[in-house]
Amino acid sequence: MSLADLHFFKMTREPSLDALCAVVAERHAQGLATILYAGGTDWMVEQEMRAPLHDEPPLVVDIGRMGELRGISLAGDSLRIGAGTTYLELERSAVVQARAPMLVRMAKDVGAVQIQARGTLGGNLATASPAADGVAALAAYDATIVVKSARGERRIAMADLQTGYKKSTRAADEIIVAVELAPPPEGSPWYWRKVGARRAQAISKVALAGVAVVENGTATRFGVGMVSVAPVTARMATTRALVLGKALAEITAEEIDHAVDQDVTPIDDVRSTGEYRSHVARALTRDLLRQLGARV
Amino acid sequence: MKISLTLNGAPRELDSAPLVRLLDALRGPLGLTGTKEGCGEGECGSCTVLLDGDPVNACLVPIGQCEGRAITTVEGLGEMAHLSPLQRCFIDEGGAQCGICTPGMLISAEALLRRVPDPDEPTIREALAGNLCRCTGYQRIVESVRRAAELLREGAAR
Ligand SMILES: Cc1cc2nc3c(=O)[nH]c(=O)nc-3n(C[C@H](O)[C@H](O)[C@H](O)COP(=O)(O)OP(=O)(O)OC[C@H]3O[C@@H](n4cnc5c(N)ncnc54)[C@H](O)[C@@H]3O)c2cc1C
Ligand code: FES
Ligand code: FES
Repeated sequence: MSLADLHFFKMTREPSLDALCAVVAERHAQGLATILYAGGTDWMVEQEMRAPLHDEPPLVVDIGRMGELRGISLAGDSLRIGAGTTYLELERSAVVQARAPMLVRMAKDVGAVQIQARGTLGGNLATASPAADGVAALAAYDATIVVKSARGERRIAMADLQTGYKKSTRAADEIIVAVELAPPPEGSPWYWRKVGARRAQAISKVALAGVAVVENGTATRFGVGMVSVAPVTARMATTRALVLGKALAEITAEEIDHAVDQDVTPIDDVRSTGEYRSHVARALTRDLLRQLGARV
Repeated sequence: MKISLTLNGAPRELDSAPLVRLLDALRGPLGLTGTKEGCGEGECGSCTVLLDGDPVNACLVPIGQCEGRAITTVEGLGEMAHLSPLQRCFIDEGGAQCGICTPGMLISAEALLRRVPDPDEPTIREALAGNLCRCTGYQRIVESVRRAAELLREGAAR
């Protein structure tokens, strides 16, 4: 175990996001990695499992209090949440409670309070694991990620973020600054259900995030994200198309199951089996659509 | 790296490598061994302390991030001669057996009662969900917290 190596790491703070971008860019050009320490709930756990260091350890920059990565604001039709926002801050935010309540519900299911107080959306998106609850919730909102590097700022649609298991289109020198999403009208239906080994401190076996706008029995907006059923967060294109294509009351259970089967490719791992995951994926999707008005 | 922080209400300074875990800094140079290590990876809650009022796992917090911040450990809740209502109730109601989980349980419960003076059982269980106990079966811990909440409310009403 390499916790003893923690003594060798250096940690700095940068006065601004631009200064941070410059440090990361300079090191990146020399082939050196920079760790951005937000809540450390992913990074610190990885250290325990890592082989002992032989070379100079990567530089760690404490981004925990960087102002430009913090804050939650609603401007017109866009809700912007800083990447440094913790799950506990999401839960306590009046504007998130009112306009993106599914994020609040998701946050309450991440680890336990101690993890919620430290873990950030930025860290969840950076790790980009298919088991990440925050990533699935943001996929359901069809959020956009704002990233910045010395080359400038750009936006990545959630649909374009992940390319494979823990692989993403974000470049190594790009810092996640914020996420932006268009909240559905207040009071719109939403869905969050996580299935794990126990209620708290459990990584999802499967979880489903959903947001919808329903007008006259038909979904005019429908976004979902499913956790741990594919190498990337499942956006469920077939299921989305099915739901947006006809009146909710006309959708059958068979159609839902068929669509879900197209959309997920679950595997056996330490937490569950592919068979169980497929079953739960269908059951959760039916449950969500039942709540929207499908007779299934 | 020189680090200044407020520990149990008093200013403290220490010189430490910044990535050293708060847990090790507390139990080592800061001399407070009340905070325990169980899993070392954020799962068990035995290392729970308050960081600016919120419960965190001290095994996942580097000491360098504590610069200018307020830490409360179990030693900050009460003293042997003047136990806090939570500490008193854990003893009276059988909320502690071997005691390994107890400092973390007390801190998580303290964070809860500061925000929610009259928590119902599901709320108590949710607040303690990140703290594992192998001895008590949890029910007595829940009762200890509920009793302490009563005492605190009676005290506040007086
Ligand atoms: C006990 C336990 C339970 C957990 N339960 C859950 C759970 O239920 N659901 C879940 O989804 N996750 C869970 N996690 C995982 C973890 O808490 C989350 O993924 C969390 O969001 C990570 O955020 P962080 O700020 O702690 O990341 P950190 O550990 O600080 O960072 C992780 C990585 O992201 C990079 N990074 C951080 N911020 C940025 C940024 N702004 N831009 C670019 N890169 C960045 C860092 O360089 C690092 O490589 C759990 C972890 C533990 C220890
Ligand atoms: S020792 Fe920190 S959570 Fe277990
Ligand atoms: S009293 Fe022994 S682990 Fe809780």
